[in-house]
Amino acid sequence: MAHEYVPEIATDREGNEYVVQGWQDDFYGGKLGFWLFMFTEVMMFGAMFLALTYYKTLHPEDFLTASHHLNRLLGGTNTVILLISALTMGLGLLKMRVGDVKGAKLMIYITMFLAAMFLAIKGVEWTEEYEHGIFLMHDKLLPESSFPFGEKLFYGLYFTMTGLHGFHIIIGIGLMIWLLKRINAGKVTPEHHILHWNIALYWDIVHLIWVFVFPYFYMIGANHGN
Amino acid sequence: MKKTYFDETHCAIGHPKSTFMQWMLTIDHKRIGIMYAVVMMTFFFVAVATAFLMRLELFAPGGQFIDGDTFNQAFTLHGVIMIFLFMVPGIPAIFGNIVMPLMIGAKDVAFPRLNWFTFWLYIVGALFALSTLWTGNGFADTGWTFYAPYSLNTDTSVVMLLVAAFILGMASILTGLNFLVTIHRLRAPGMTFFKMPLFVWGIYATGWIQLLATPVVGITLILALLEKLLGIGIFDPAKGGDPVLFEHLFWIYSHPAVYLMILPAFGVMSEIIPTFSRKEVFGYRTIALSSAAIAGIGYLVWGHHLFTSGMADLAKTVFSFLTFFVAVPTGIKFYDWVATMYGGKIVLRTPMLWALGTIITFVIGGLTGVTITMIGVDIHLQDTYYTVAHFHYAMLGGVAFLMFAGMHYWFPLVTGKMYNEAKAKIAFYIIFIGFNFLWFPMLIAGYLGMPRRYFDYLPEFQIYHQVAFFGAVVFIIGITLMMYVLIQGWRKGEKVGPNPWNATTLEWHLPYSPAPLENHTKVPYVDFDPYEYKNGEPVVKFDYATMKRID
Amino acid sequence: MATNTNIDYKKEQSNYIKVLVGLLVLTAITFVQPHLFMEHSSFLAQMIIAVAKAWLIVIYYMHLKGDKLIGAMVWFTLFLVAVFFIITIAVDVTHFQFGDESYITSAEHSLAGAEVHQTSSAHE
Repeated sequence: MAHEYVPEIATDREGNEYVVQGWQDDFYGGKLGFWLFMFTEVMMFGAMFLALTYYKTLHPEDFLTASHHLNRLLGGTNTVILLISALTMGLGLLKMRVGDVKGAKLMIYITMFLAAMFLAIKGVEWTEEYEHGIFLMHDKLLPESSFPFGEKLFYGLYFTMTGLHGFHIIIGIGLMIWLLKRINAGKVTPEHHILHWNIALYWDIVHLIWVFVFPYFYMIGANHGN
Repeated sequence: MKKTYFDETHCAIGHPKSTFMQWMLTIDHKRIGIMYAVVMMTFFFVAVATAFLMRLELFAPGGQFIDGDTFNQAFTLHGVIMIFLFMVPGIPAIFGNIVMPLMIGAKDVAFPRLNWFTFWLYIVGALFALSTLWTGNGFADTGWTFYAPYSLNTDTSVVMLLVAAFILGMASILTGLNFLVTIHRLRAPGMTFFKMPLFVWGIYATGWIQLLATPVVGITLILALLEKLLGIGIFDPAKGGDPVLFEHLFWIYSHPAVYLMILPAFGVMSEIIPTFSRKEVFGYRTIALSSAAIAGIGYLVWGHHLFTSGMADLAKTVFSFLTFFVAVPTGIKFYDWVATMYGGKIVLRTPMLWALGTIITFVIGGLTGVTITMIGVDIHLQDTYYTVAHFHYAMLGGVAFLMFAGMHYWFPLVTGKMYNEAKAKIAFYIIFIGFNFLWFPMLIAGYLGMPRRYFDYLPEFQIYHQVAFFGAVVFIIGITLMMYVLIQGWRKGEKVGPNPWNATTLEWHLPYSPAPLENHTKVPYVDFDPYEYKNGEPVVKFDYATMKRID
Repeated sequence: MATNTNIDYKKEQSNYIKVLVGLLVLTAITFVQPHLFMEHSSFLAQMIIAVAKAWLIVIYYMHLKGDKLIGAMVWFTLFLVAVFFIITIAVDVTHFQFGDESYITSAEHSLAGAEVHQTSSAHE
């Protein structure tokens, strides 16, 4: 940019001066904007939870049965992995804010690694389900199968929601790669780190969604009879 | 004109030399607003043409030149263009962009590059949608509401249209996000929320609807898409899905969407009425808070679109009850506007004529809405021409009319010129008369049982279709004349100064018109209310070189 | 005001670790709850634990503690989601009137019905 941004001053009738907030260099504005974006994610996943609850109300037994058959070990491991990755992301931001850029980058790398692990374990889980005949457009979830409606709906929404969540994880990894590039280019610094702040927030919301996805799908049928 | 700092930095990428590229890459809110206006008015006329084709076919019973399937595609096209390409971006995309930052004394919106990106996202979405006219198995024939299970099973180009609608929804969300942060962060020093012009209140309330309601339809469209492609079974009863769930999710957005359309329009009304009554607005606080109330209550009433779809009786009752409430803050606004005019010195220029005409047509639209809020009445009138006339009175006679009013009001701000007043007034009268001949018979036809979205009908309804056709012809002549007047005004109109209406809000306190690229020379300190008039004259005066008050 | 340079690194880091421990404890409770307490209202118990975890994350990890403006917006958004849920679930589908006649809730397509189906003779 050819010119440095210098904030304007407005003067009232008594001569008092006020700094005018410009659209450039507005840290709080950048934060606010990202929080508003996160509200859209809440509404989006909220609507999916609504659909899920709608069908759970119509088919309570089927939902418990289907939930019981999910792999709590793999799902639980993923929960802990994501939890720790939220910590590493947060610590990375903290290090950036106090000036430890190398430490910040290390934390971002660790977060990316944990995210990749999450995806790998999810892949193992889905493969296992596929082998039991449970996957979109496959065997038990085909329209002509005699699998009960409630279970079909449960698994259909399971793959949709964990799939969309996984898609958001992939985007998160992409964002972290971009963040590392911006740090290396000197565009994200301890003095100017709104991008890092917002990407950390993004990772937190990805974690938050899983905090509700996991118990709703995996745990409600944990002690179910069958 | 001397190149300023803003000339150099007002593009998203680089410093292009050609004027064309400067516009294509512009991050300036005023230029983006103008581009939206040009594109949107073009789409508007395409959708009007589609409607005219339908009116032509419906002139007489029986098929004349369109068959049933094509007719279904026609009303889908009309609805998709009008709603997703015209009404939803609507007044925020045009006047929210051009005028709102000026009104709060800001240099631009909070995220100008995002604003640029959002405009082009809108264009991409529009192109995706319109491309389905020529690709795949023909344009969708589902109605703009895409109800399951038909939308899942039809082989017309629904998939592409769902993608397009999702992209357009994202553009709407990003616009709302941008405006919300702008209004929270960039108001001039001294301008508290209750010193903002009422148009800004309208844009603010709208932003919350754009932000929170649109994602719900976004995910619904994605789910419908995934259902078509991957057979999840979420909405298709053959696989256990419930079509009523689709309707719930769809209308959770689409009802607040109509408030997203009308709130900025009411904001325009709140600007025009005090200016042309030469008087402070009556009940500023109640008008401001009623915008928030309409947005809030508007989230609770979507089920009135599902009265005949199979909801529980309890749900129907609750929704009917809640829907009556949303008329209350709207009514408050209308009473406040009339009270503003009382005792004022009315200046009957074209913007005021449009505002007054809208009071008539929107009241009809609003009251006919209240009649079908009664469940028993709705059982009879649902999906008839009564409903169609109701929402056209509200949307065309409310939102679009006020958009036209805004176009006439802020014309000098954008162009620096004035249109021919006499011809503009004639255009208004022709449009107003045509509009009523077009839609009023439909209220009667619907009451007598004429169903909507039907391409054929019993002979007893023919007279209503014929009168409506006559109204359509007059209406189209009127809007064509209106566009001619505006375009001629831009090309050859008389030059005017920056405040030809002698109004009080900040967008008129500029050194010259059209508005300078960098907005106000200096941001003023705002220690005054937005509509201060004394004896018909504005109280607040500025020295435009220093933006200090000199009254 | 791009950055706050007077950050107490040790204190912030210890806050992060404390929240981590809290989240891990809540996760452990998530696992044992179905066998230990509220076994018959598992869904409610799980959602309560999830809300507790979410609260910790939002207040501390997402730095919302003390931010009045964004905090108010968060409350409004959550309220809206709650309203959608209450109306659609508690008011509408819980009072589904057509359970007996509707194809989507018919016995042959639910688990109980499938068992009956399998034990009956001729059909697939």
